Amino acid sequence: MSRRRKIAIGLAMLISYLLQLSLFPELKISGVQPDLMLVIAAVVAIQDGPVEGCIVGFIGGLAFDLTGSQVVGVGAFSRAATAFILGVFKDMFVTYTVLLPFVLVFFGGLVEQLLYHGGLTVLGSEVLAPLNVKHLFTVAFYDSIVILVFFPIIKKFKGSDSADQLGAVRTGM
Amino acid sequence: MPGIPRVRRNRIILILIVMVCVTMITVYAREGDNGPLHKIQGFFTDIITPFTSALAKIFRPIKDGVMNVIHLPSLLQEKRELERQVVSLRRESLETKELRAELDKLKALLRWSEGSPYKETVGAEIVAQSPDNWRRLMIVNKGSSHGVKKYMSVVTDSGLVGRIISVGSRSSVVQLITDAQSAVGGRNSRTRETGILEGRNESTLRFIPMSEEAVFEVGDMIVTSGLGGSCPPGIPVGRVTEVRKRGRGLTRLVIVKPFVQFSRLDKVLIIITPEPESAILKEAQ
Repeated sequence: MSRRRKIAIGLAMLISYLLQLSLFPELKISGVQPDLMLVIAAVVAIQDGPVEGCIVGFIGGLAFDLTGSQVVGVGAFSRAATAFILGVFKDMFVTYTVLLPFVLVFFGGLVEQLLYHGGLTVLGSEVLAPLNVKHLFTVAFYDSIVILVFFPIIKKFKGSDSADQLGAVRTGM
Repeated sequence: MPGIPRVRRNRIILILIVMVCVTMITVYAREGDNGPLHKIQGFFTDIITPFTSALAKIFRPIKDGVMNVIHLPSLLQEKRELERQVVSLRRESLETKELRAELDKLKALLRWSEGSPYKETVGAEIVAQSPDNWRRLMIVNKGSSHGVKKYMSVVTDSGLVGRIISVGSRSSVVQLITDAQSAVGGRNSRTRETGILEGRNESTLRFIPMSEEAVFEVGDMIVTSGLGGSCPPGIPVGRVTEVRKRGRGLTRLVIVKPFVQFSRLDKVLIIITPEPESAILKEAQ
């Protein structure tokens, strides 16, 4: 990963973190907001690889864990694990289409929330709202819409040093 | 990590991330409220508070614009409803003037008889909301350096907003009454029946009466009962919008719409005195 790309991802994470705390809670649709940090981690996992996505998910999740009163580490783990899974899943697809990040992030959104909710429930220290399937799917859908905006932006900063299989295919994005 | 093969490096990073997460979760779950991770959490929240506060001000016009567009269809309906209410309120206003004089006398008598305790409050601004979709939390810009303590009640002129669940030196986390984890003692102001007000992560609350024979009607006002020790009594919470009878003799379910419009909140009051009993007990321990 080039230095320029690392800076771009870092900036995207910082801006997303601040937006997630200030603007997006005000723009909830059906009572939910997208998880921007998961979306960025997913983009990195798809474009750079599972481990890189995992690192971004960990840092982003940790930042959210430290804001508020939730158990520190659960959000970091759920986002890191989800980004890693998405990165591994992406490699299983032979062809690449515009819909791939959309579908992957939708799936990732479900996995992340189940991990997060399940983790806190198992720990027993935070009794959350009961798992609501509609809520779950709405967040995942919202995430997958947002990735369509983030994906091409972050990809612009992908340097020539990291021309992986994604760069070789005709994506149209 | 130069010199280490990529596959091995990746494996080390993954193991490190998992170990760090597990360690943090374990430490956090086992330590008390004054543990290092809790302190870091409070410190981190303090650091980001000025930034989110500034951003919230910058984004307010954008938010208002978006919300206006979204609510445009309902605004016309609201206008018609308001016009109807104006006519009704004018009539009520005449009656109110007479009643107010009587009420002032009664209030003076009540203060004299109860020696009403002075409630000290501190004003706070909401600087951020929970990024978590499963919680209803807000961060305010007042903390322990302003006298704020855990479990203190947060109100507006409309009614109860929630209570403090985490305190940093210059910021605090407020758990809204709509949060699924929130439970507050409530009372029907008409019948004096008590019960528990539970959040549902929705815009309404669930009121579970203590007695199955309790009589509730749509429109009844619910206030805090003071039972449980976390909230002072008599703070307005909301109005009953729906009364459901559960089957098999289970407790009746009463849906309450809060007076506070959480989406429009920007300033709140934190009740400093009287201190919540739970905070006093904790300090005594």
